[in-house]
Amino acid sequence: MSTAAAPNYELIQQDGLETNLLEVSMGPHHPSTHGVFRMDVKLDGETVVDLRPVFGYLHRNHEKLAENMSYLSSMPFTDRLDYFNSMTNNWAYALAAEKLIEVEVPERAEYLRVIMAELTRLVNHVSLVGFFINDLGALGTPLLYAFREREKILDLFEQASGARMMCNYFRFGGLRNDVPEGWLKRAGEVVDRFPSFLDEYEQLLCENEIILSRTQGVGNLPRELAISAGITGPMLRASGVAYDLRKVDQYGIYDRFKFRVPYTDGDTGDCYDRFMIRMLEMRESIEILKQALAGIPEGEIMGNAPRVFKPKPAESYGRIEGPKGELGFYLIADGTPKPYRYRVRPPSLINLTVLRDMCLGGKIADAVIILGSIDIVLGEVDR
Amino acid sequence: MSILGGGIFKGMAVTLRNFVGSYINKKERLPTNDYSWRADGALPQGIGDYPKEKGEQLSDTTTVTEYSRNFPMLLHDGGEPMDTVRCVACQICERECPPQCIYIEKDYDENGKYIKRPAVFDIDVSVCMSCQICVEVCPFDAIVMNSQFELSTPDRFGGLLVRRDDLLKSNDYYHKIHPEEAAARDQKMAVEKAAKEAKKKAAAEKAKAAAEKKAAEAAKEEAE
Amino acid sequence: MSLVTDILIATVPLMLIFATLFAFTTWLERKALARIQNRIGPNKVGIPCTRIGLFGLGQPAADGIKMIFKENIVPRGADRLFHLLAPILALIPSMLVLCFLPLDFPWLNENSVKAFLLDGAVIFFFAITGLNTLSVFMAGWASRNKYSLLGGMRAVAQMVSYEIPLVLSAVIVVMMVGSLNAAEIANAQAGWNWFVFTPWGFAAFVIFFIAALAETNRSPFDLPEAESEIIAGYFTEYSGFKFALFFLAEYIAMFAISGLAVTLFLGGGHGPGLTDAPWLSVIWFLAKIFTLIAVMIWLRGTLPRLRVDQLMGFAWKFMLPLSILNIFIAGSALHLMAGDRLADLEEKQPVLRQLMEGANLPVVAGLWFGALLILYVAAKGLNQLNRPNVRPREYKYAE
Repeated sequence: MSTAAAPNYELIQQDGLETNLLEVSMGPHHPSTHGVFRMDVKLDGETVVDLRPVFGYLHRNHEKLAENMSYLSSMPFTDRLDYFNSMTNNWAYALAAEKLIEVEVPERAEYLRVIMAELTRLVNHVSLVGFFINDLGALGTPLLYAFREREKILDLFEQASGARMMCNYFRFGGLRNDVPEGWLKRAGEVVDRFPSFLDEYEQLLCENEIILSRTQGVGNLPRELAISAGITGPMLRASGVAYDLRKVDQYGIYDRFKFRVPYTDGDTGDCYDRFMIRMLEMRESIEILKQALAGIPEGEIMGNAPRVFKPKPAESYGRIEGPKGELGFYLIADGTPKPYRYRVRPPSLINLTVLRDMCLGGKIADAVIILGSIDIVLGEVDR
Repeated sequence: MSILGGGIFKGMAVTLRNFVGSYINKKERLPTNDYSWRADGALPQGIGDYPKEKGEQLSDTTTVTEYSRNFPMLLHDGGEPMDTVRCVACQICERECPPQCIYIEKDYDENGKYIKRPAVFDIDVSVCMSCQICVEVCPFDAIVMNSQFELSTPDRFGGLLVRRDDLLKSNDYYHKIHPEEAAARDQKMAVEKAAKEAKKKAAAEKAKAAAEKKAAEAAKEEAE
Repeated sequence: MSLVTDILIATVPLMLIFATLFAFTTWLERKALARIQNRIGPNKVGIPCTRIGLFGLGQPAADGIKMIFKENIVPRGADRLFHLLAPILALIPSMLVLCFLPLDFPWLNENSVKAFLLDGAVIFFFAITGLNTLSVFMAGWASRNKYSLLGGMRAVAQMVSYEIPLVLSAVIVVMMVGSLNAAEIANAQAGWNWFVFTPWGFAAFVIFFIAALAETNRSPFDLPEAESEIIAGYFTEYSGFKFALFFLAEYIAMFAISGLAVTLFLGGGHGPGLTDAPWLSVIWFLAKIFTLIAVMIWLRGTLPRLRVDQLMGFAWKFMLPLSILNIFIAGSALHLMAGDRLADLEEKQPVLRQLMEGANLPVVAGLWFGALLILYVAAKGLNQLNRPNVRPREYKYAE
């Protein structure tokens, strides 16, 4: 783990009173570690003195499996990496492979890709805020409101691709099938109702004194540490760096949409900033969705890529701004139908490396909140 | 300066609005309890309430939408299933299946010649991850996705291995559970068939024209 | 012999009524929380052996039967005696203080034994509720589990700190009545003279309610049973009937403290229609208790929980100064209203009502407005002092 700044705690040492540290394993079975993740914390009373994250409980051998099957057959496995955002995982892999075979993606497919990705971003951020407030102790009320909205979007995904979560929708050169009739109208309805839901959500949460006092000042991440640790995504923007791959790389057709990127004014970020940045990003996603739904052309949705292809020996790295950060796929092709090396850059894992630095000196309740604000999904951390 | 405790009161107002709304505005507040897309507008409540037709297990298809997929099925075009089955046991889906859950054996007649039918076609439903890759790679439109989900069985060893005869479903059943997709697939098959017929006719005409030309030349030669 | 039957007549109906109300409250809580969260609560368990789900009203009975049949697991190395005693010790004080609520049941006449006619009823109430703290700590210690220990320690700290604002806000009412007798306090609010309508009474009610939430470990003060951090806190290792006993104890404590709040501030049993039907006072009392319980459930569905140091800060640095200030304001207001009639006040009669009878209306209105203003400004000031930088923030946008 990276070296930490001097933690601001002191062990109570008095003459005649020996204190021992209490070592608790907030273990794999825990209601609020977002999956099978373990943190071994050493506590002095309630203050965290040391923290050691242990993961790997969900390792499923994803990268080695891909070396045994063709490029198309490992598309369904990318759904299961970050199981909340299957569409964006698919897109990152499709980008990486399309660079190897150099195929054109038609216009309508590009627009639909952007629509699916922004819907996924909405799903992810709203679920994350729900889980975050759930960890704070609000017995599930904001979480269930978030899931109510997520259901509507999952219905849209089911109508487009056949499955709610493991969509397996993107292909190299386009999408698998066109959306059914009336889908665009239904998607427009969902997008139109989302801002009023966000307003209600903000009214429930954003001025609540309890949430303010529990998340402000907790889990400070200075800008230099964030940049040097390779943090990306909303965590980076909450620490004061205006960096969004949709603006930097402009993959797909993101250069045609007008949207803003919120970031913190300052050079540290705490849990409140990360939570608020995600709320603001949802509003920007709605802007993109409105523009995309208005401007989508008719046309075909699949470029002419062969089903089984043997790319020439080359390597490619395809990355997107996923809802959790920069999700990248690195492929080395060697002329056979199967990749030689397939590597995933998981944003959740890289964002987790600063967990210890953020938690030291805080209370144990803060450790849970900080973990919640990093937004990890164990499928991606462990692959 | 905001009211002391103002954020808490605003939150309580939202909760009250949701509480009252869940009684009077069910469409907005209780969307997952909305079963209006089903014929009678409600979920079946009891064990014997599921509609079950003899032979085919339609129980699940009336409780999921027409877009959802669960695990594959083999299509046949009516009548005796094994006479009109579309699958020719080319084993492409077996090779491409990501979790490798399909097991196929070709069918041979008495002389050992390969008939274009599968003798064994097993799918292990506990391994299948509903990814639809087998549907995509099949060149004969023979395997499509079913949407049944009531597959549980008390037999732990092999109960979830669905065999060829259970996988065979008619094209009419496919139209019933996925109407749009089935119609699109039928249309595609009709277009392909028409193209093939046209090509065959063109080839036959060309052959006839070539044969006539040859006969005319032969007659001319004889006349000379 | 007659003493024994008198005691039984006084206590057994109380236990039966409140046990039924406990079952009803668990049902109400599940349904209300569910509706707040946009889902339907339990609605299948109704009349047994039929398909009639009476909105799930049979659910508490089903839960109770299930808990009785569960296996009783005690962790190896745990202290068996205290593991058993803790839930019992949690239940007994909560049930005991139910006697002190001024519930005038119709079958009690002047000769029956009535615990609430005790001259120091309010003091006894607070003394006995203090025993809950001990049981929570016993449960946390005896489970031999780090999570339970953490929960137990947090619970002790919380409950001890919040007893002080609780008692101090009750002092205001005692000042306004001049007696510690629960029945007299209730009768002093006859008509619509509830103490919650006075400014210091309102502030005291708010402080009492928040401290009551903390005493019974309800949201937003449910740190000891914080599910997301320490699984279930001090009753992680309890299963089956002992867990049911803890549950029962928590809810009966809720009833008891709500009952005390109703007695002290909300007029305890007084409402319209009492002259015609004196038994209505019980109905009004229970209705008011249920209103408070509904507000507790509403808060549970809305608010996240506080962290332990913020909780302690809230108790010692906000509620305690505010309740002491409240006592001063109440005392000075009463003194200013009395003027020179202080020597004429009769004994054994409610102080506030006597003062209000001959008082000058503009003076009273001015005093009350002044008191409200001072209390609000003090509260805002304390808030600002304790948490200076806590406010919503603005963010920049990049194009």
